[in-house]
Amino acid sequence: MLKTLRPWRLASHMLKGCAIPARRVSDSFKTFDGDNAFAGSEVNSKKFSNPFAQASPAISDGPAETEEDRGKRRKVLQLEADIAHQEGRRVPALEFFQDHHWDHVLSLPTKSARIKYYAFLWQINMKKEAERRKKAQRAEDTERRIADMRKEREENTHIIYGLAHTSMFLRIYDTTINHWQNNRLTRAMQFAPKMVLDCSYDKHMNNREASYAAKQLMLCFAENRLNDEPFDLHYCNAQLEGKCMQNLKRYIPTMLNPEFPMNVHKQCFTELFDKQNLVYLTPHCREDLVTYNPDDIYIVGAMVDTMNNEPLSLAKAKRLGLRMARLPLDRYLQWGSGSGKSLTLNQMINIMLDLKKTGNWDSALKHVPRRKVVDMDTQRRADDSRKALGTRARKLNVRIDHLLDFEEERRHTTAFATPQTLRQRKEGMEFQLDTWAAGKKKKKREN
Amino acid sequence: MYNIRLLRQLRWFGGHHRLMASQHKRPQLLGSVPSDQLEQLKSNYFARRQELSGDEWQSVRHSLIEGYKHINDHNVDAVILGVCSGPQQLSLAKNYVDYLRSTGAGPNAATLGRLLRVYNTAYHTRPLSEAEQREILQICDSLQAAHETLDATSCEQVIHGLVATTEHWQRALPLLEMMKVTSTPSVSAYSALAEKAFGQSDQAEEAWRLLEEMTLARKQPRCEVYLALLNRLAQEPAATSSLRVELERLLQFLERHNILVSQKVAQRLLQLGQQLPQQLRVTASRLGPLGKCQECRQHLQPVAISDEEFRQLSECFLEKVLIRGDVFQKSTPEEMLRFKQYVEKTAPYDCVIDGLNVAYSTGAKKAPQQLAKLLATVVRHFKERHKRVLVLGREHMRKWSKSAMHYVQNNASLFLTNNLSHDDPFLLYATIRSGQETDFFSRDLMRTHAFLLGAELKPIFRRWQQEHQFSLVTQTQTGKIIVKEPIRHRLSVHQAEGGSWHVPYCDVYTPNPTDSFDVPEHWLCLILNT
Repeated sequence: MLKTLRPWRLASHMLKGCAIPARRVSDSFKTFDGDNAFAGSEVNSKKFSNPFAQASPAISDGPAETEEDRGKRRKVLQLEADIAHQEGRRVPALEFFQDHHWDHVLSLPTKSARIKYYAFLWQINMKKEAERRKKAQRAEDTERRIADMRKEREENTHIIYGLAHTSMFLRIYDTTINHWQNNRLTRAMQFAPKMVLDCSYDKHMNNREASYAAKQLMLCFAENRLNDEPFDLHYCNAQLEGKCMQNLKRYIPTMLNPEFPMNVHKQCFTELFDKQNLVYLTPHCREDLVTYNPDDIYIVGAMVDTMNNEPLSLAKAKRLGLRMARLPLDRYLQWGSGSGKSLTLNQMINIMLDLKKTGNWDSALKHVPRRKVVDMDTQRRADDSRKALGTRARKLNVRIDHLLDFEEERRHTTAFATPQTLRQRKEGMEFQLDTWAAGKKKKKREN
Repeated sequence: MYNIRLLRQLRWFGGHHRLMASQHKRPQLLGSVPSDQLEQLKSNYFARRQELSGDEWQSVRHSLIEGYKHINDHNVDAVILGVCSGPQQLSLAKNYVDYLRSTGAGPNAATLGRLLRVYNTAYHTRPLSEAEQREILQICDSLQAAHETLDATSCEQVIHGLVATTEHWQRALPLLEMMKVTSTPSVSAYSALAEKAFGQSDQAEEAWRLLEEMTLARKQPRCEVYLALLNRLAQEPAATSSLRVELERLLQFLERHNILVSQKVAQRLLQLGQQLPQQLRVTASRLGPLGKCQECRQHLQPVAISDEEFRQLSECFLEKVLIRGDVFQKSTPEEMLRFKQYVEKTAPYDCVIDGLNVAYSTGAKKAPQQLAKLLATVVRHFKERHKRVLVLGREHMRKWSKSAMHYVQNNASLFLTNNLSHDDPFLLYATIRSGQETDFFSRDLMRTHAFLLGAELKPIFRRWQQEHQFSLVTQTQTGKIIVKEPIRHRLSVHQAEGGSWHVPYCDVYTPNPTDSFDVPEHWLCLILNT
């Protein structure tokens, strides 16, 4: 929790009702902005101190459990899992559990949390068993197929054709592509605009959210690397002992190697870059981002906030005195009733990459998943035209929907791809071979 | 639609099958079989028969294991016992367990636990024989001997088993403590024990202790607990004073914890009144205007909180709700200071209005002039009654229609916060700071604030909110506004001034009742004779 002492003390003074001398208030606020005011004059100095850097104290949750208690509790929880499995609930058999599973179970606070975790383990157990069954089946099938082929070959008196993996093309290995993309990244580190991923939200996420965040951070790196003109990506405030970074290390084990083109910093971005250039992208503020400025360094908060509604990124930006902006989603897109306006981190990076390249918001916002966006106008137009033409076409038994699709898409097709339209029912247009040209009238189904 | 499925499941499994959160998401019933096959199973084997032969049991097991992916050797026994869980199927259940014993594998712990549950449901319909009780004890002993600390499910099953015996139910009390190691004990465990304790003539204290513990853990006691108490009171040819004392204790308990009893309990109370006409009179009643009971013609108590409670509320409010460790989330320190100074200058008020909430009451997509006009109408409503008001809003409201905003500024105090700040905590702070007499005007239910205040202050906050919250119902075509005034009398179980107790009740028992903001429709009027 980024608790800052000064404003809290101020507020608790207010609670106690003591008269705060006005001067002290303005003093404290001057020091907040002091860095900003003087930074302009100290353009040459590289060192920007973080006024809010605090050594994080170890917060103890009370007396630590003794080993004996822990062992006892573990036994009871094993019994609980065993009985639940015997009752047929979503719990895997006791043999499936391993030590790290029990460690996680012991850390969960409530029984319902444990039940959900057991259900998750049950699911992966069931998937594994299904996989095993399918694999056995496939092995059997392959054997049978090979036996058949061998038999056929023996009986065959003619020559045998087949390429058997020979080809005239050079095989391009994954590592080659990786090296090529890494090279592009090192060039980006020298010349390209910078982008910051702020990983300081570990304390606000639970385990599952932290693992999702780690996956998204990995995807950010990957999709940035794929692009023709990547950003110079910096992962700041990375707490390497925290859940999120540990999971990221599992995805990218060479993350911290000096020769790997990924910038992971323990310090805050205010210590690395000039505050004037920083812009914090947060959905909770009021100003839209209008144009992309390549001199600005944009910050995205690496947090998965499914459970948390608090405007934490807004609070952080306010506290650090940075400029804030949000993406102009309302202006360019019409949101459907789907899953809300949250975007994943890799979608954000893709949007910023496209924005940097084209400066055009429409093309940049193509990375917002289409299921969240509803295009009312085109749908209505499609329905009207479809109804008119559909009846005629049905009489002639001609398929016209592919033509109609092309019609509407021609208006919207851009360089990036034809946009996906929502799935539309094709009524009465299915081609029925048995009744085709049979002379029988197709009865209209009464709805 | 899915509620029907879940309700059906509840009915078939005798109500002991816990509804887990995961069940609401997935249609596949857990630890059980889908309905159509279940119907078939029940009709073929379980409906009318008291016992099945070994081969038939074998075929049942086989069909279940083959038919469902999640049923395998380990859990088919418990599943079968879960299916035959009605009170008439006790002999069938026992037959199956005997069959298992005969095959040599023997029933596992979960199966035995479910058998105890079946015993419990049978116990509620008829008293158990000696042999049955001995078997229950044997099972309980074996389960407890196997492990030093039992897990929550097994503890619950053993509790239910012991409660079904006549003399050994007190062994179940330490089991409740054992349950607390892994989780808070469930509603059914607490209810079973409390019900049994009330049924005994001398264990009322124990029962009350359990009830207190239960409500502290935010579990709603089942109707059966109250019914057990009332049955005992009806049976004992007790002296008038002890009946009165016990009933008053029950009513005070309900009052203290704001519990809404179910219709079953209300019916039983009515019957009690008919059985003992000299000692108490119970009538169904309605509430007239201004909270007057139609039967006894007395007014209900006012809902106002005491001065001490109000002081507590005001002290904790700012810290817990607005600041909450990080003032930047909801506002900034300078804004808070500015607001505090403004309130000091212009307090006290008669009403504090949440400007944005009022303006958007009739719809969010209106033009700013209409929003401002609505706000001005509300201010006029109070001005006509000669009340001082404070209107809270945000900076962007300056751009609304100038005439309306000038009207508001001239006839009320106006404070505008930053466009990014939450204005709800400011509203409540100004109202509380102004004193006990100030009302506030907002349609917001204030659920987050009630939660953030903590478990002790939440009921106090809710009572204060009920007493002081005006809300805008709607605006008619002519421009007149309909305002919902706060309900100034209490809505829970309490004693009116004349001494008669008033008990509201709801239709069915819900395990997790939410905060309700409506007046209960059904009331009972109880007069205890001295």
